[in-house]
Amino acid sequence: MSRRLSTLLWQIGIGVAALAIWQWAWDLHERVPWLVPELFDPYFVSKPSDIFRQFLGMSCLVSTDGAWTFGVPGAFTRCLGRSDNNLWIATYFTLKNTLWGFVCGVSSGFALGLLLGRSDRLSEIFYPYVTAFNSVPRIALAPIIILAFGIGDASKIMTAWLVVVFLVFFNTFEGARSVDRDHINASRLLGASEWQVTRTVIIPSTMAWLFASLSPAISFSLIGVIVGEFIGAEHGIGRMIIEAEARGEAAGMMVAVFVLMIVGMILSALVRRLQTYLLRWRPAQNVAA
Amino acid sequence: MPSTQPELPSRCRIDINGLRKTFLAQGREVLAVDDASFRINDGEFVALLGPSGCGKSTILNMVATLITPNGGNIRVDGIPVVPGRPTRQVGYVFQKDTLFPWRTVEDNIGYALELAGVPAADRRARVDEAIHQAGLDGFARFYPSSLSGGMRQRVSLMRTLIVQPEILLMDEPFGALDTHTKLDMHSVLLNIWERARQTVLFVTHDLGEALTLADRIILLSARPGRVKQDFRVDFARPRNAVTLRETPEYAALFSRIWHSLGEEFARTHSA
Repeated sequence: MSRRLSTLLWQIGIGVAALAIWQWAWDLHERVPWLVPELFDPYFVSKPSDIFRQFLGMSCLVSTDGAWTFGVPGAFTRCLGRSDNNLWIATYFTLKNTLWGFVCGVSSGFALGLLLGRSDRLSEIFYPYVTAFNSVPRIALAPIIILAFGIGDASKIMTAWLVVVFLVFFNTFEGARSVDRDHINASRLLGASEWQVTRTVIIPSTMAWLFASLSPAISFSLIGVIVGEFIGAEHGIGRMIIEAEARGEAAGMMVAVFVLMIVGMILSALVRRLQTYLLRWRPAQNVAA
Repeated sequence: MPSTQPELPSRCRIDINGLRKTFLAQGREVLAVDDASFRINDGEFVALLGPSGCGKSTILNMVATLITPNGGNIRVDGIPVVPGRPTRQVGYVFQKDTLFPWRTVEDNIGYALELAGVPAADRRARVDEAIHQAGLDGFARFYPSSLSGGMRQRVSLMRTLIVQPEILLMDEPFGALDTHTKLDMHSVLLNIWERARQTVLFVTHDLGEALTLADRIILLSARPGRVKQDFRVDFARPRNAVTLRETPEYAALFSRIWHSLGEEFARTHSA
């Protein structure tokens, strides 16, 4: 059996076993209470079968009377119309704000990192401020941001921006400081002006550092958005979790968590693809980040 | 075609006079180059030879405006060079690999043309020619990371030569290559030089390399670097980098210079 196939079988096996324990362990609780921790109580963590059923309902694939919605004309849209924060809308809002936070954070972090990284004077002056702001746990600012920017999209993008910008800033800063002197000399000797050196040497070599920070940046952005939604939002998966918690619906919370997991996996896979493409000039062993 | 008539007074292209450079090393001032003076005429291929640490690269880098001298002066085509302001007609080839790793072979070679704003179609034609000349056909779209050391140095060479500099400064460009690749590069360089006859100042610690390539060998003393001796190398051109080394003239001149160089090696080690 090939190594890859055996790895795959192990992975599936572990997944199935974990789900099976989660699904049926609580049934043993009555007979052997010492074997099964209280945590397995479906009231707290629900059960895979309940979560799946809940997912079908929340995504409007199954209507409230338990029938499949596809095939029944208008049933799907009717179901969607019942909630202004159904699973689809929530995912859309969370995804949108995550991407905006990512784009804003990456671009401004890069610009600031480049500016301070290439200017000894500026980095000298701003050093205490940068360290001070960096020492504040960014999440602690989320309530203030909601207060200042309201419960709409702006506050979520702002929270995401705040967590992403420092990460990208520090990476870019390091990158801008470590540009190879010989590359700069080579460029000058080949006739480059100061601006041409910046454009053709400093920015491209700093980019390599920026790209390495994209993967964590997208995850951070998603965290920022969810925290923002916890504190106050009209739409989004974070709000969905808070609502389900208020109703004591463990299955509903779990659905939201699984959707987040899938969203996160897709986003980081896409970013990794982008990263591999942008860093294709690197020797192969350095690409994996 | 450039004519080679030694009777005619040649134009002096590089004039170095009383050049001095000190470095600060662990709080002490070290004299690296002391009163170095020499001139290089148009179309001459001059090797600057000396034991390592004798300041030969320092002299080259001062000519290239990368290092500021502490005394003396350097004139290129009669005009004093200004540190930090590269001279237009001078090309420089580094010892270290300084290709831009994010650019493909063709984009590295075409870099200087891009800076000068040469239109894309023009650039293409000249880059293609350079790629062919350096024997890099088929590698235009490769990134430097997937090339061998010898191929990278060919790309470096063409990146500098693409703008046809009349004066070429080379800082041990083949120092990191193995013997075979080095000989290969000597052939490539000789071929290119036969055609364009640039004025070359070539730094090396390898006597064989100096003899293969140069018209003149300036031997520097151990630190502090001064001009110790100036040898003419008048082997017939075009030269063959491989068979030249089998000739008796080569052997004779080799042992003459070797003796003198050996004294400097000895001084380096006793110091």
